[in-house]
Amino acid sequence: MGRLDFARCALLECVLRERGAVDWIAVGLSVDVPAGTVVPRRVNDTDMAIWCSAAGKLHAWGDRCPHRGMRLSHGFVRGETLSCIYHGWQYGMDGTCSYIPAHPQLEPPKTICARSYACNEQDQMIWVALAPTQAKTPDAEGRRPVRSLEITLPVAKVAEGLGHPMSSLMVLGGVYDLAVALQPSTQHSCVLHAFAGADQERKQVSRHLEKMRAELESADA
Amino acid sequence: MREAVDDHWYPVGLLSGLEDTRKTLLLGREIAVGRNGAGVFVRDAAGRALPTVARFGHLWTSPGQPTRDLFTIPEADTPGRQLVDVGSVRVKCSPLRAVENFLDIAHFPFVHTDILGAEPHTEVERYQVDIREEVDEVWATEVKFFQPQAARSAEGGIKTEYMYRVPAPTCAVLYKTCPPRPGEWDVITLFVQPLTEEWCEVWPWMALYDDQSTMAEMVSFQQMIFMQDRSILENQIPRKLPLDPGMEVPTQADMTSVAYRRWLKRIGYTYGAQLVAA
Ligand code: FES
Ligand SMILES: [Fe+2]
Repeated sequence: MGRLDFARCALLECVLRERGAVDWIAVGLSVDVPAGTVVPRRVNDTDMAIWCSAAGKLHAWGDRCPHRGMRLSHGFVRGETLSCIYHGWQYGMDGTCSYIPAHPQLEPPKTICARSYACNEQDQMIWVALAPTQAKTPDAEGRRPVRSLEITLPVAKVAEGLGHPMSSLMVLGGVYDLAVALQPSTQHSCVLHAFAGADQERKQVSRHLEKMRAELESADA
Repeated sequence: MREAVDDHWYPVGLLSGLEDTRKTLLLGREIAVGRNGAGVFVRDAAGRALPTVARFGHLWTSPGQPTRDLFTIPEADTPGRQLVDVGSVRVKCSPLRAVENFLDIAHFPFVHTDILGAEPHTEVERYQVDIREEVDEVWATEVKFFQPQAARSAEGGIKTEYMYRVPAPTCAVLYKTCPPRPGEWDVITLFVQPLTEEWCEVWPWMALYDDQSTMAEMVSFQQMIFMQDRSILENQIPRKLPLDPGMEVPTQADMTSVAYRRWLKRIGYTYGAQLVAA
């Protein structure tokens, strides 16, 4: 990285921080990506394939196969690898291509590699970081994940509506002891991932969240 | 002088389906296609009549001044073949991506599983590819691949041989060994109408030796195959075909695609292409 690039990065980081950008972004509940599956997620306009190996290890990769650009989220999981659905190229845990079915004898060059992002599982929630970070994944302090809701508002509007400064995990408290994580998907929409107190009744919390969403969206209309 | 994008011939409809005048797009511009007393016509938005050719069951036109006749497929004229108008499928992808996918065999076991290919028979053996300067076409020959069910009339797995031909930037012809007639080739084509740079209408057409299947069966077989391809084509990033090396990673099995991209670049056909690695 050149000096200028580095300076630019540092500056960008500053700007992002000021805007309340966050290191770790929740992208879904662990139950929504069980072992052996892959799903697409959009994070800040970055397309990702989130997948869970047979052994239960989660990964977040750029949703694009280096071979011919096919979305990896349409692929399939075998053991600890993810394969692209187009020509079956297989990628190992570190994102490098380990097998090209058209050339079974060939050892793929190490340079063939899917883009990978930091991905952690904590409190049964999946978290990703768009840029390398030293920060710890947020701690939900014993709360349990309830569900994810799509909201057709920019993430900043939602934070504003909730009356909370933007952070990875925003503790709202209240009757249900809520904590929410906002995933910016595009410029105009986001996904709210909610935790509630461990002893709260899921159905009730879920209904409450829907009401909350309706209020946020109508306040903006 | 090379032909400009406008000067090529493009398919715009089935000859058997021109009863009602149809408004459609060609290279991003509106055209009207239909039949009148004098025969068939294609008109641009200003009402100007565009040149037409009726061939391979389709109506062809060009918004520019074609310097050459539309290509021919002599093999398709041999008697005893069933000529199959498959119809059309609209696909949200570059017309060039649609052609490139048609030239690809390595995807058979994964996209057309148990029909055109099956694991563990995934290996693509070396084949011949050349850009034939005299005719200005791309050819791939001696392509061999294991197929569990090579065509509707095929029972059980066979090693099938293919030849691929790109006679025009948005058209491809596949010659494929023909189970009921050893020594002859079935002809399967993909004619692509570029609606825009990222949206196309695909008109597959076939000239087959097959006296077991009905026309409806042959049509639905080919449509099913193409629907599987569409699920790929609409999910490639970027939608346009990258012509510059660097953005995608070809291997030996992709020699036809490499030659096709190189040829497009050489003839300056960039409609639906992405030129700089993004
Ligand atoms: S595009 Fe992924 S294997 Fe070919
Ligand atoms: Fe295909």
